[in-house]
Amino acid sequence: MRVLLVEDEVRLASNVAAALRERCGFAVDCAENGADGAALMELNRYDLLLLDLMLPGMDGLSVVRHVRRRKDMTPILILTARDEPAQVIELLNAGADDYLTKPFDLGELLARAKALIRRGKGVSHPVLTVGPISLNTVEQTVRCDGQLIDLSPTEYRLFEYLIFRPRAIVSARELLEHLYDYNWQHHSNVIEAHISNLRKKLRAVGEETSIATIRGRGYRLEAPERQL
Amino acid sequence: MRTTSLSRQLVVGVLLAELLCAAMFSFTAIAHEMHGRRRAFDVMLRGRADSLLGAVQDAEDPEDNVFVDPTELAVPQEDAYEVLSPTGRTLGQSPNSPADLLAALGAHRTGGYFNFKTNKGWYRAVRFEGVRVIDRNEDQGGLRRPVIVIYAASTRDLWHEAVEAVRFYVLASVLLLAVTAAGLVWFLRRRLSPLQQLAAIAGRVSAQSWEFVPPNDVLRTAELAPIALSIQQLVLGLQQAFERQRQLTGDAAHELKTSIAVLKSSLQLLSMNPRTTEQYEAGLEGLLLDTERMEELANRMLALARLEEAPVNRTEATDLQAALNAVVARLRPLSELRQVALEVRIESASKAHMQAEDAELLCSNLIMNALQHSTPAGRVSAIVQSCNGAVELHIVDQGNGIPEASLPHVFERFYRADRSRSRNSGGAGLGLSICKAIVERANGTIQIQSEAGTGTEVTVRLPAAPS
Repeated sequence: MRVLLVEDEVRLASNVAAALRERCGFAVDCAENGADGAALMELNRYDLLLLDLMLPGMDGLSVVRHVRRRKDMTPILILTARDEPAQVIELLNAGADDYLTKPFDLGELLARAKALIRRGKGVSHPVLTVGPISLNTVEQTVRCDGQLIDLSPTEYRLFEYLIFRPRAIVSARELLEHLYDYNWQHHSNVIEAHISNLRKKLRAVGEETSIATIRGRGYRLEAPERQL
Repeated sequence: MRTTSLSRQLVVGVLLAELLCAAMFSFTAIAHEMHGRRRAFDVMLRGRADSLLGAVQDAEDPEDNVFVDPTELAVPQEDAYEVLSPTGRTLGQSPNSPADLLAALGAHRTGGYFNFKTNKGWYRAVRFEGVRVIDRNEDQGGLRRPVIVIYAASTRDLWHEAVEAVRFYVLASVLLLAVTAAGLVWFLRRRLSPLQQLAAIAGRVSAQSWEFVPPNDVLRTAELAPIALSIQQLVLGLQQAFERQRQLTGDAAHELKTSIAVLKSSLQLLSMNPRTTEQYEAGLEGLLLDTERMEELANRMLALARLEEAPVNRTEATDLQAALNAVVARLRPLSELRQVALEVRIESASKAHMQAEDAELLCSNLIMNALQHSTPAGRVSAIVQSCNGAVELHIVDQGNGIPEASLPHVFERFYRADRSRSRNSGGAGLGLSICKAIVERANGTIQIQSEAGTGTEVTVRLPAAPS
């Protein structure tokens, strides 16, 4: 999952980004002002936008309006030091999904971020299953019939992205976009290598759940029809 | 506190004046009427007395006496009269008069008109000596009989008649009084209603609702329009001050909460996962920096609060040169680090009315700002001049300047021309506000001129203190 964090307080931004990377395995891009944030939203596709309200130049509310005007459905979580009801109402009515007042608890921020991403993808339970395989987004573990499958962080992120979109074709480009932040040098064969490792680990537990390669288009997480 | 009502006072005042006028008018009318009637009464009295004289007849007796023949007399029965001979003998009396009335009549000895009182009320009488000629013949002229005539009539009706005559005036006055009172009350109620409207609208103004629109009725009233307009101005000023204060409190809360958020997130991040010693050390270092920044913010907010509230000490004077030198010595390492030349030029003696602490804070904030906005190889100059009894401090830099749109706001609290950059360079947008507060406490002025790409010049002008 890839998150955009727009926050002008650099120390706070680096702390939040570090927590999102460490605890959730998200790819995080940071912007220090509203205009940069809005530009990045146009350039990349994010799974969540974390937005500070008081920003230099274009403020948070304007960014929300800008994003929603473009029919962008990305969930938006507002971080604000102000919590007057009128302002909260205005924000939510402008298209924001949730808000958190500073100083916030990092754990709460991460939980809300995950919940918003789930909702954004049409899922409500924190444990997702495909066939006998289940992925727990809270523990960040993957199990097959209760048995833990040992995945590297990148493999977990890859599988998490695929399991949110079962039986849909996901291109390598989309995977790259959603798994890495903009500091990453893009190499599509990185994805290929990770997919191949993931396949091996899934096959080791002897499952018919598999990741199919659709030539020229991408990958698809497949499972027996009745078990899906 | 006892309240007084202007309208009640006005009504009472007007009615009293009118009552006084009516009373004076009625009194004058009655007095005038009485005067006329009294004269007429006197004439009537004399006329009746004369006819009494005419009724004196020869008694046809050996002493040649005279007597009053009542059958010859046509005067009111209530009147009293007496006819005396010059020797005082009674020649005749009114037959129906009570004895005390006749006694009172006879008691008066001098001629002319006089008043007296009996138990039946006031009487007015006339006494004169007349001569009755009896048996007048053509040649002899007859007998001349001198007599004294006293004639009295009750003046009881005189008053009634006079009052009756002026009753119309009295009634008209009373009616006028009533009409005036009713009209005045009605008029005041009607004309004072805009005042009540004004009070009602002013009473609705509160911190939540600042709306104050005087109704047209009020604005059309010459006496009320200035009051309404000044209340409007006052409300507007209050609203602005209140909004400014609220904005300020909100900004201060925002800064504090953000600082705390940084600190809290740093701590939580550090405790989220097991870390290596190096990571802990780096984390602690970051925490220390966060705390220092928070301390700086708190210090600046407190400095500002102190400057705005503490009373001004007019006796203390500080040498700007000394303050400037101390600050420059402290900031020299920073300027060298940034490769900015820092020069001080003192052109004259420079004492100003401020505390040494404030003078240093002023110089340090201004020079720090200049250094932060300077580009490497730039120059920051601090110049002290004397000019027409004022001390001038110029801080000039060759930095990138302040955007024109930001210039009017730079002295506002928590204002940052470029927020993200300034925040990360440590300022909370309070430095220039503090400078302004210091300068204004010393009765001075502070101005800022800036040109993008060329640099910024801050000019502080302070009244010089005697050295």
